Amino acid sequence: MASLASFRVSPALRAGLVSLAILTVLLLAWHLATSGSGPVQAMDPEYAKLMGKTATEGKSAMPGPLDVGRTLWGHLRDPFYVKGANDKGIGIQLAYSIARVAAGYLAAVLVAVPVGFLIGMSPLMGRALNPFIQVMKPVSPLAWMPLALYTIKDSQASSIFVIFICALWPMLINTAFGVASVRKEWLNVARTLEVRTLRRALTVILPAAAPTILTGMRISIGIAWLVIVAAEMLVGGTGIGYFVWNEWNNLSIANVISSILVIGLVGMALDQLLARAQRLVTFPE
Amino acid sequence: MADERFISIEGIARRYPAPGGSTTVFENLWLGIPRGEFVCMIGHSGCGKTTVLNVLAGLDAVSDGEVIVDGKPIDGPSLDRAVIFQSHALLPWRSVLGNVAFAVTSRWPKASRVEVEKRARAAIALVGLAGSEHKRPAELSGGMKQRVGIARALSIEPKILLMDEPFSALDALTRGTLQDEVRRICLSTGQTSFMITHDVDEAIYLADRIVLMTNGPQACVAEIVENPLPKDRARTGLHHAPGYYALRNHLIDFLVTRSASFRDAKPEGYDQRHPPLIRPTLNDTPRQAA
Amino acid sequence: MSSFDDAFDPTRRLHRGGCSCGAHASQAAHEAELSADQQIERVVQGGVMRALFPRDATRRAFLRAVGAPAAMAAISQLLPLGTISDALAQGAKPEKTDLKVGFIPITCATPIIMAAPMGYYSKQGLNVEVVKTAGWAVIRDKTLNKEYDAAHMLSPMPLAISLGIGSNAVPYTIPAIENINGQAITLAVKHKDRRDPKTWKGMKFAVPFDFSMHNYLLRYYLAENGIDPDTDVQIRSVPPPDMVANLRAENIDGFLGPDPINQRAVFDGVGFIHVLSRELWDGHPCCAFAASKSFITEMPNTYGALLRAIIEATAFASKAENRKQVAEAIAPANYLNQPLTVIEQALTGTYADGLGNIRRVPNRVDFDPFPWESFAVWIMTQMKRWGQLKTDVDYAAVAKQVFLATDAAKLMTEAGLTPPTATSKTFFVMGREFDPAKADAYLASFPIKRAG
Ligand SMILES: Nc1ncnc2c1ncn2[C@@H]1O[C@H](COP(=O)(O)OP(=O)(O)OP(=O)(O)O)[C@@H](O)[C@H]1O
Ligand SMILES: [Mg+2]
Repeated sequence: MASLASFRVSPALRAGLVSLAILTVLLLAWHLATSGSGPVQAMDPEYAKLMGKTATEGKSAMPGPLDVGRTLWGHLRDPFYVKGANDKGIGIQLAYSIARVAAGYLAAVLVAVPVGFLIGMSPLMGRALNPFIQVMKPVSPLAWMPLALYTIKDSQASSIFVIFICALWPMLINTAFGVASVRKEWLNVARTLEVRTLRRALTVILPAAAPTILTGMRISIGIAWLVIVAAEMLVGGTGIGYFVWNEWNNLSIANVISSILVIGLVGMALDQLLARAQRLVTFPE
Repeated sequence: MADERFISIEGIARRYPAPGGSTTVFENLWLGIPRGEFVCMIGHSGCGKTTVLNVLAGLDAVSDGEVIVDGKPIDGPSLDRAVIFQSHALLPWRSVLGNVAFAVTSRWPKASRVEVEKRARAAIALVGLAGSEHKRPAELSGGMKQRVGIARALSIEPKILLMDEPFSALDALTRGTLQDEVRRICLSTGQTSFMITHDVDEAIYLADRIVLMTNGPQACVAEIVENPLPKDRARTGLHHAPGYYALRNHLIDFLVTRSASFRDAKPEGYDQRHPPLIRPTLNDTPRQAA
Repeated sequence: MSSFDDAFDPTRRLHRGGCSCGAHASQAAHEAELSADQQIERVVQGGVMRALFPRDATRRAFLRAVGAPAAMAAISQLLPLGTISDALAQGAKPEKTDLKVGFIPITCATPIIMAAPMGYYSKQGLNVEVVKTAGWAVIRDKTLNKEYDAAHMLSPMPLAISLGIGSNAVPYTIPAIENINGQAITLAVKHKDRRDPKTWKGMKFAVPFDFSMHNYLLRYYLAENGIDPDTDVQIRSVPPPDMVANLRAENIDGFLGPDPINQRAVFDGVGFIHVLSRELWDGHPCCAFAASKSFITEMPNTYGALLRAIIEATAFASKAENRKQVAEAIAPANYLNQPLTVIEQALTGTYADGLGNIRRVPNRVDFDPFPWESFAVWIMTQMKRWGQLKTDVDYAAVAKQVFLATDAAKLMTEAGLTPPTATSKTFFVMGREFDPAKADAYLASFPIKRAG
């Protein structure tokens, strides 16, 4: 026990080791909990052939970590296969989802930032639009779906619209807030230098509000990613949400869990992407 | 000076709406500033000094009256009147050079990139910050930031420099050096300057005239004190200068007692339009000029 | 009665067992001898024959009196049956060849699905993408939006759509039924000693959709056993894959679901098959191939080609010996995405019942495209019975609009002829006779009902 403290381990490494330990314990517990009880009862072999392993071997309905690992590896090894319109590799499905998110999200940025600017710069517009924003903001993404399908009459465009409408509010609110709360003194600097409106918006307000806007964008990308999975589960066809739904349809929990992991990782990557962008525009004061 | 009223504040008033009417910060305020002169304004907190400066800067509008600068009434901010803000107000996402260059491009929108940089570097060198051009405001000390603010104001070659307690947040040592620099620059360029300060010594060191404001609300200019100290005064030896204590005592007396009582006990013949001009002699206690 | 049966055969037995001509061991074996083209011709001719003589008994009497060849000849003179059959068989060039057809991954969709991997669509010069869809409401909306050219629907849905129940009224048609039978009531294993439905008060059941044969059959079954489906038990709409999960989680006690979900519950050891739907009503329709009226009128040739592909696929699927091959074609992830053995059990009718027995019921599911109008009338009586349909409708007229836009009637119209009167038949549902002509009396005869 030559004192653990005497090891000079960096805090990051130490946190990593603890994470690893937690993971190991969780995986072990998971493995034990799902390892099944062995053959349940004597069964007519003819009959047993018609039954699944859950019924014949007492295998847990929940897959173990090994099953999930195997499934995940299977997907990652061949992510881009196409075996028909309804059976495509996980990479292709992710690409569909990301493309949809990108489309809806970019549209939301294009609307939210200018409109947010308008609201932020004009207290009148801010007050006039506030009731609408407050009502629209808390609407659940999936509540928009039937309306979108009904009016747009195209499920692809509808899911993009739902992304758009859900990603819009946090960005709009943050942009308006960021613009409205640009420090008075910076605006005064611009005023005393006779900076014209457009240049002021681009060189003073935008950089000043950028961290707040990026915070909104970061919230929005998280929402967009949440929404796309749900929307695709609903309208199906393609995308990672459809993939989950398809595997759920097959009651293939191992596939569902692997997709959950993949969805989580992609969501994290998107978040990190924006976190990095946020770091770029954040200024120390 | 030839131009007695380069800046002419003519009967301005500023009122804010208040429950049951409005409060008047000041009204019927008159003040003239000759070209090339350094004027300090002192007065108690809340009397309306910043309001006057903002009106001069064009950042605040008056409720009454007007301000004439160089023969033209003010209607908004202008590149001719540079402001050095109390809180430096640097754009934190820009470097030192970027902040000054921002002002330079605003002044000369058509200037080439090279020229902009040349002018910006010159202004930075003027305040002694050469070598720190690429630092961000966050990497600078308070004094350095204020120097950048000064460089930014000077870089646009303004006709008037407006300063609202520019050094109040600094330690005594830094404040001293900056005061030296400002005085050096203003003397060498013949800059017309208007500065608000709470620091009596600062006013005595920098100002050609000191404007005394009474307490608000309905503040007014009680008097204008001419600085009798020699032009080549040095900051460190200031307190040895003859007449220094008399002047200082006069100012402090005003701040301690007269600023509060002035409104109710106005001296005979007091005319808001022509506030009395005090010319203290170097030995005597200050007295009203004939 | 199957529409692949020869309607000109007076000796054909109305109830199954052996084949209709008696020369084959089974109906499937009988039909195996007919080529696909003959099948089409048979369906068309049968349709016309049935249209002229809706009552099986009358038709048989007529055929016995004049003889089948004479009847054929007589009718052919009246109606150029060959031309109609030709139009359907060869078809003019389709107006549109790239089509999207939506389906829900259940065995009911077998003909629609298998027509893709087994080349029935391409044989008609069509490039059909069969698109798996998440739920009935979505398939309805996507079809209404014209994202899909045609789709697999529950047979009550086109009626509901046409009547404007649960969506805006849009004229919809069922050119062909896909499957008959093939559903079951599955109960949680813990209820294996509670087989008498009279004891089911308080149980919770799932059906795939409000406008489904499943809903109507379950309600019918419960009501016939004295259980009021609205007050004595709970019935909710649950998407098929959720049925097994809910059964496992004990959120529901059972469901009347489509295959392979029933078999999947058995396969996973969470449920047993209490009763097959064919035991309630042998030959009941379930899912349908549905298309909007506008699709049919705007693209008649495409429609003809599509329908021909589906009828051929249906004919192939209806043969018992082909079922394993069909199962293999539709089990992969691209289609049903289920273990092969589960699909096989559902399609071949040799299955584990979840109680330890292997059962052999070859017509557990069958495939028969003929959209009897009387089916539509029965469905509407049930819509009315349970309060979904609140106004009085002209059953026969609606049935004609939705179910009578059949291949036969349509092709007759195209040939410049007046379509015959409704194609209907009587049938028994749990021993109760249904006569479409006496729908109101039928509805009135139920002790448990919400309206009518
Ligand atoms: N927006 C406003 N609404 C109402 N009253 C205001 C407003 N801004 C300033 N005032 C009032 O105007 C008066 C003058 O304010 P000002 O900032 O000019 O004072 P000051 O002399 O600069 O004080 P200090 O020395 O503390 O900086 C104060 O009494 C203040 O309460
Ligand atoms: Mg102030």
